[in-house]
Amino acid sequence: MGTRTSNRLAAFIRPITESAVAVAIGLIVGAFLMLAFGYDPIRAYAAMFAGAFGSTSGILESLAFATPLMATAVTFAVGVRASLFNIGAEGQMYIGALAATVVGGTILMPAGVHPIVATIVAMCCGALWALPAALLKTWRGVHEVVSTIMLNWIAFWFVTFLIRTYFAEPGRAERAIPAVATARYPVIGGTLTAMIFVVVIFCIAVTILLWRTGIGFELRLVGDNPEAAKYAGASSSRAILTSFVVGGLAAGLAGASQVLGRPPSWTIYATLGNLLNLGFDGIGVALIGMNHPIGGIFAAIFYGGLAHGGRFMEYNVGVASELVDAINGIIVIALSMPEVIRIIRRRRES
Amino acid sequence: MTPPPAPVKKIAVVSDIGGRGDLSFNDMGFKGGDEAAKAFGLQMVELISKSEADYVPNLETAAKDNDVILTVGIGFLLTDAMIDVATRYPDKDFAIIDGYVPDMPNVMSILYEEHKGSAIVGALAALVAANYGYSHIGVVLGIEIPVLWKFEIGYKWGADWALKWYETKFGKPAPVIADTPVKERVLWTYTGTFSDITKGYEAAKAQIAQNAVAVYNVAGPLGLGLNQAVQEYATPRGLTQGPPFWIGVDANQDWINPGFVLASMMKRVDRGVYFATQLVVEGKFRQVVADNNGIVILGIGTTVSGIDITGISVSTLADLDEFIQMGVNAEQLTGKKVLPMSPDEIKAKVSAMRSSIPSWVWDAAAELESAIRSDPNLVPYAGTQDVVDQWRAILG
Repeated sequence: MGTRTSNRLAAFIRPITESAVAVAIGLIVGAFLMLAFGYDPIRAYAAMFAGAFGSTSGILESLAFATPLMATAVTFAVGVRASLFNIGAEGQMYIGALAATVVGGTILMPAGVHPIVATIVAMCCGALWALPAALLKTWRGVHEVVSTIMLNWIAFWFVTFLIRTYFAEPGRAERAIPAVATARYPVIGGTLTAMIFVVVIFCIAVTILLWRTGIGFELRLVGDNPEAAKYAGASSSRAILTSFVVGGLAAGLAGASQVLGRPPSWTIYATLGNLLNLGFDGIGVALIGMNHPIGGIFAAIFYGGLAHGGRFMEYNVGVASELVDAINGIIVIALSMPEVIRIIRRRRES
Repeated sequence: MTPPPAPVKKIAVVSDIGGRGDLSFNDMGFKGGDEAAKAFGLQMVELISKSEADYVPNLETAAKDNDVILTVGIGFLLTDAMIDVATRYPDKDFAIIDGYVPDMPNVMSILYEEHKGSAIVGALAALVAANYGYSHIGVVLGIEIPVLWKFEIGYKWGADWALKWYETKFGKPAPVIADTPVKERVLWTYTGTFSDITKGYEAAKAQIAQNAVAVYNVAGPLGLGLNQAVQEYATPRGLTQGPPFWIGVDANQDWINPGFVLASMMKRVDRGVYFATQLVVEGKFRQVVADNNGIVILGIGTTVSGIDITGISVSTLADLDEFIQMGVNAEQLTGKKVLPMSPDEIKAKVSAMRSSIPSWVWDAAAELESAIRSDPNLVPYAGTQDVVDQWRAILG
């Protein structure tokens, strides 16, 4: 009994210790970078932290940056849980945003129903966009990295084409038509909306699916030990399909969050500038969050804090914005390392 | 213990996604902020927007700072974010360049008569084509937003005006370009970007290949791509000056590649920023905003609330020094070589290029400018899709 408790405690404490060490390494490397360019790293980090989490408006903004990443992190995480390297969140997220723009911007519906319908349609469209990669994998064994990268580009140009033509707003060529008032999630403050609750509930639902249902058990079993899964009669095709569909729903939700739940534009910019990289950033967030949807929530908040707080390093301490990006990148890489090492080790063992 | 120094008042300049280092639109905004800060004993703080999601938090960061007396948004793309933040911070003063935000007591929208300046460089380009026997002139534009329609139609209209001027002056149609059908004389490309320099290069290269004598840069940083295309044409042929030329925008860009930049359509974003700051410092900001319903238009020979302020002009040799300094600043900022040669050499080359073009070309431009001064409605103002379509039907 005693050893079991201490094992559980160790299992709980170990990842936290690892993350703490990783954060420290990232911060120290970033500090050396700043020192090399003649900036005061302590003041810069203090400005970043105070800016991101030191005031109500800072917290609201950091959470607004975090919201889409919580969802795209799920896409990558459920992939890894099924031993897939699904990097298709980017494209699926574009498609979700497009669907949200179409349903939110062109269809009239009552206020309470509109955002829900638009969100569900966006999620389903994200999942649909994930299907080709899933089917290619299960039928023909096409590696998901290849298929999802291709689908990302197809989505990029497809969405770009549609929002610049059929769903362009006359006189505002820099963006598509915005979601109408009835389709928008209520604003909590700054650019944060009630969409964050939808995303958090979704992450919890995925957690329950993965650890409390037969489908989730099968998915994790196939991911952990494909040989054992085969003997246990688990269907790897079904696990792969489930992983892609859940990932697609998540990415579609992330896309919807930027259209139905992010002022002031409430739509997609013609350059897709307000969507770009949210899918890829989700990979880093998932790794920091140990490929767990709940871990992803906290990792996304951390990441959102970097995204929002970074500007204060520039504003208060004068650190060049390019250097801020570099420092944030170093911190994210350092934080992802424990999980990356774990994935590599697991692959080697199997 | 010495008491801490009194907090310095600040002006905040927020860029759109074009960012710093474009040597045109955004850099002009920062130049104005810098000059105003020096003149009025303020500190300028910069906030660079890396994506559209940064617009609101950047503006809000500045608005929340008690020491900031004015927050300037550089660019139309910040419009929605500006309305959002200015509504939530009614006690703070804001200005937006190119954005149309009327009837808010704390927002000054600073707009420019780009169509008039574009008409003048369009006339210059068309007459240079006539002089060198080229069949086309070109223009490379960024994202198709209404501000850019003004450039596009103004440029086309100016070219048309110039070819009519030529016919009246010399009693015969201009050589070569007048033989090109009216709707095909101006090659124009919307690249859909203000940041992807490669797209500017590709568009300019295609236009030069189609015999365009000059390509007008209406896409900020993409001008560097235009320059690359022109240089790539010139180097193997051993050319030391145009044609082909490119035409600068926003700043005086003649120094970037002296001899190959015909002229620049200067949109004095710096003066707009300076002007707004001055009004805040003098306590007149809200009054001027109220008097003008929030919209201030700067152009050729314009006045605002009785104050003379020119916002549009075509570059001359005389104002080159001021902008060579901009290159020097950029060198300090990036640590990279920006100036192509020494300032004296730049001036000598620009001067040589200008004098190699016959004086009647420059006279025509001057004539158009004075015509614009005496008739403010001479150049068509293309602010809506209808007007743009109407002019595209006539001029291509």
